[in-house]
Amino acid sequence: MSLAWFARRLMLMVYTVIVVSMLVFAITQILPADAAQSLLGENATPEVLAALRTRLGLGDPAWLQYGRWARHVFTGDFGISMRTSLPVGPEMLAALSRSLLLAVSAILVTLAIAVPLGVVAALRQGRLTDTGVSLIAYLGVSLPEFVTATLLALLLADTWHWLPATGYVSPLEDFGDGIRHLALPVLTVSLILVAHVMRMMRSETLDVLKSDYIRAARLKGLPERTVVFRHALRNALLPVVTIIALDVGYLLGGIIVIEEIFAIPGIGRALMVAITTRDLPSIQAGALIMAATYAVTNTLADMAYAFLDPRIRYD
Amino acid sequence: MLSVTRRLFLAGTAISLAGLPRIALAEAPKRGGVLRMSVDQAASVIHPMLARVNPEYLVTELLYSNLTRLKPDMTVEPDLAMSWEPNATLTEWTFKLRPGVTFHDGSPLTADDVVATINAILDPKTASPGRTNVGPIKEVAAVDPLTVKFTLAGAYADLPVALTYLNARIVPAKVIAGDLASLSTTANGTGPFKLASYEPDRRIVVERNPAYYDPARPYLDRIELLVYPDRTAEASAMISGEIDLLLTTAPGEYERLAKADGVKALRTPSGQFLNINLGCDQKPFNDVRVRQALALVVDREATVGFVAGGYGTPGNDTPLSSAYHFYKNIPLKKPDIATAKKLLADAGYPNGIDLTLVASDRPSTRTQLGVAVREMAAAAGFRINVQTMPHATYLDQVWKKGNFYVGFYNMQPTADAVFKLLYTSDAAWNETHWNNADFDAVINAARVETDEAKRTALYAKAQDMMNAEVPSVISAFFDLLAAQRSYVEGYALHPRGSVFRLDMASLGAGAPKRA
Repeated sequence: MSLAWFARRLMLMVYTVIVVSMLVFAITQILPADAAQSLLGENATPEVLAALRTRLGLGDPAWLQYGRWARHVFTGDFGISMRTSLPVGPEMLAALSRSLLLAVSAILVTLAIAVPLGVVAALRQGRLTDTGVSLIAYLGVSLPEFVTATLLALLLADTWHWLPATGYVSPLEDFGDGIRHLALPVLTVSLILVAHVMRMMRSETLDVLKSDYIRAARLKGLPERTVVFRHALRNALLPVVTIIALDVGYLLGGIIVIEEIFAIPGIGRALMVAITTRDLPSIQAGALIMAATYAVTNTLADMAYAFLDPRIRYD
Repeated sequence: MLSVTRRLFLAGTAISLAGLPRIALAEAPKRGGVLRMSVDQAASVIHPMLARVNPEYLVTELLYSNLTRLKPDMTVEPDLAMSWEPNATLTEWTFKLRPGVTFHDGSPLTADDVVATINAILDPKTASPGRTNVGPIKEVAAVDPLTVKFTLAGAYADLPVALTYLNARIVPAKVIAGDLASLSTTANGTGPFKLASYEPDRRIVVERNPAYYDPARPYLDRIELLVYPDRTAEASAMISGEIDLLLTTAPGEYERLAKADGVKALRTPSGQFLNINLGCDQKPFNDVRVRQALALVVDREATVGFVAGGYGTPGNDTPLSSAYHFYKNIPLKKPDIATAKKLLADAGYPNGIDLTLVASDRPSTRTQLGVAVREMAAAAGFRINVQTMPHATYLDQVWKKGNFYVGFYNMQPTADAVFKLLYTSDAAWNETHWNNADFDAVINAARVETDEAKRTALYAKAQDMMNAEVPSVISAFFDLLAAQRSYVEGYALHPRGSVFRLDMASLGAGAPKRA
């Protein structure tokens, strides 16, 4: 991995985040409601509205507002929430950490389920195991999150009382209880992701198993287990890295339904609340933090990819 | 004669009730324990003067106290004030404060704190919703450290009730003089609980105030407030025992909760309602016949089923439900399509009329009402297009500006409060622009009338006028629905919907031990 390649990737990442910040800022400018009005709600008087607009600097030209905001963000200051009067940055980062905990746990569980299943399906191609595994995986990805979530909660919480139905407990405060509360949402998300990863794993394994070097390995007389695990699996795993990186984006943005249903105060919900209450600093910070996380994850995935497969470093 | 009786009655109630909580100690509720409570939206504003929604009123009620407090029968009892007395013309009111009360930081409560609080609420710069709701206060002054005198802009019989207003929590004068905005993230009140941690979107924790003025209360050591945005998930959490008390729920979940083991479903009729606001100063609703025609197409009993799932009471185009003190039972309007058609034709619309009804998406019952009315009105020639929009957009573009939209209102403490909020010419939110001088005169006469019988007659007349002229179509009132685990004791739903009294709650036998 050359240094220039590395530097270019980093610059691309920074550039993405800056463009996103401008887009986010532009979009918040054209939201069809006045921030001051939504903040003060139904009790605003014209004088108070005017005073608040001035205080928030809403009357300034957009580029001036953007410059002021970008300068503060650069020093780590995302402003004060118009809704809660608390600093936005720490709130959003705390929300992000809860979402990341959910996302990372879900990805680990997904990998633990999907990779073996994909390999098994490939080895048993066309047989009952293959069809069964694929069917279950497709079922998982076809059902909307809220259906899966509700079904799982009904079965595992309401009927069998194995797990708490909803709620969030920080694992730092009470590890056991935290994990128990995390179990249902992680399971729900994993059921959806397993199909992506498993399908990719299955087709890649099939491709790899047909390749020349595998035939060579088999002709060499290696046992099938060695052929699959030492030779095929490594190459078949490569595209999974890309899928996972893309899924992180889905997990951070699309996980909002899961966060609503399981009452997890994560970044998706924070952003949703911010948008419905027109809390501009929170919208801007939330969107930027999510975009940055996505950009970082994808850059990391690219690097991991380049590390695993030297042919990627095309410069 | 009667006026004296009423004032004596008010003062008498004040004195006799001051001793009540101690008498109630005879059957001492168990002390201690942690109550876990769920709310459907985050209490993101804990500044007592700026709170706007029920979870926020709940938090500020835990942390602060008013001068007076609203009982479930909608009459008042003493809180920080032990007694009160008006002058003969009801223009001056003197309140005696409870001695020995301290704020959470240990400083004593004095008349100066009350004066500073009321002045801050009345200051337009504070932008408190309480400004137009605490009564026609012209001046407030400290007579001595434990006596406050209110001078009013006009006679007003409801001042003790008005001071129960949800934003009129008493805060220290030194906070107001210093950094009033600090109350957005910290708290220093005289309430039964102290703020222990504040993470609005995750969890708010309050702990027992050991220096609360009533040594017996509160009974609980701690209350944790958790946010459950999804009602189904919230009900599941209640059924599985994750939470002990649920602030509010919907009809569908209520039925599920009522059937669950160990759960007690709670229900009370209330004055919360949806209406259809008609802009009485613009075509076509400036013609009373169009408004009357619309009122005659609505099947009120059916609307209770549509929007409240049957958990409600029918409305008769007046904002007073049976939960209000001066409610008049007028025979319910029945759908009468033939008369509606005739009224519409007389008003110049023989071929029907095209209208766009705006309904915001929060709460979703606004849209349900819109669609129900569209279908019911079609038979009489109303061709209604229901336009839904996000609540923030609605507030910005339609609310108080549009002439045909769905409104949603909480119960108010008094008849006067709801008429002055919505229907008089000087109403804080004069959404209908009905601007009926006769109606204004009746309401103004009632607010200074101390004779109970005369006052009842005046409010009855006001309700008759609204019923006849229909400034807005009010077809259904909601019951308030909630649920608790059966081991929670001393909690009751308050019809006002925004009074909670968790200082009375305790945990009985069977409650889980929580650290």
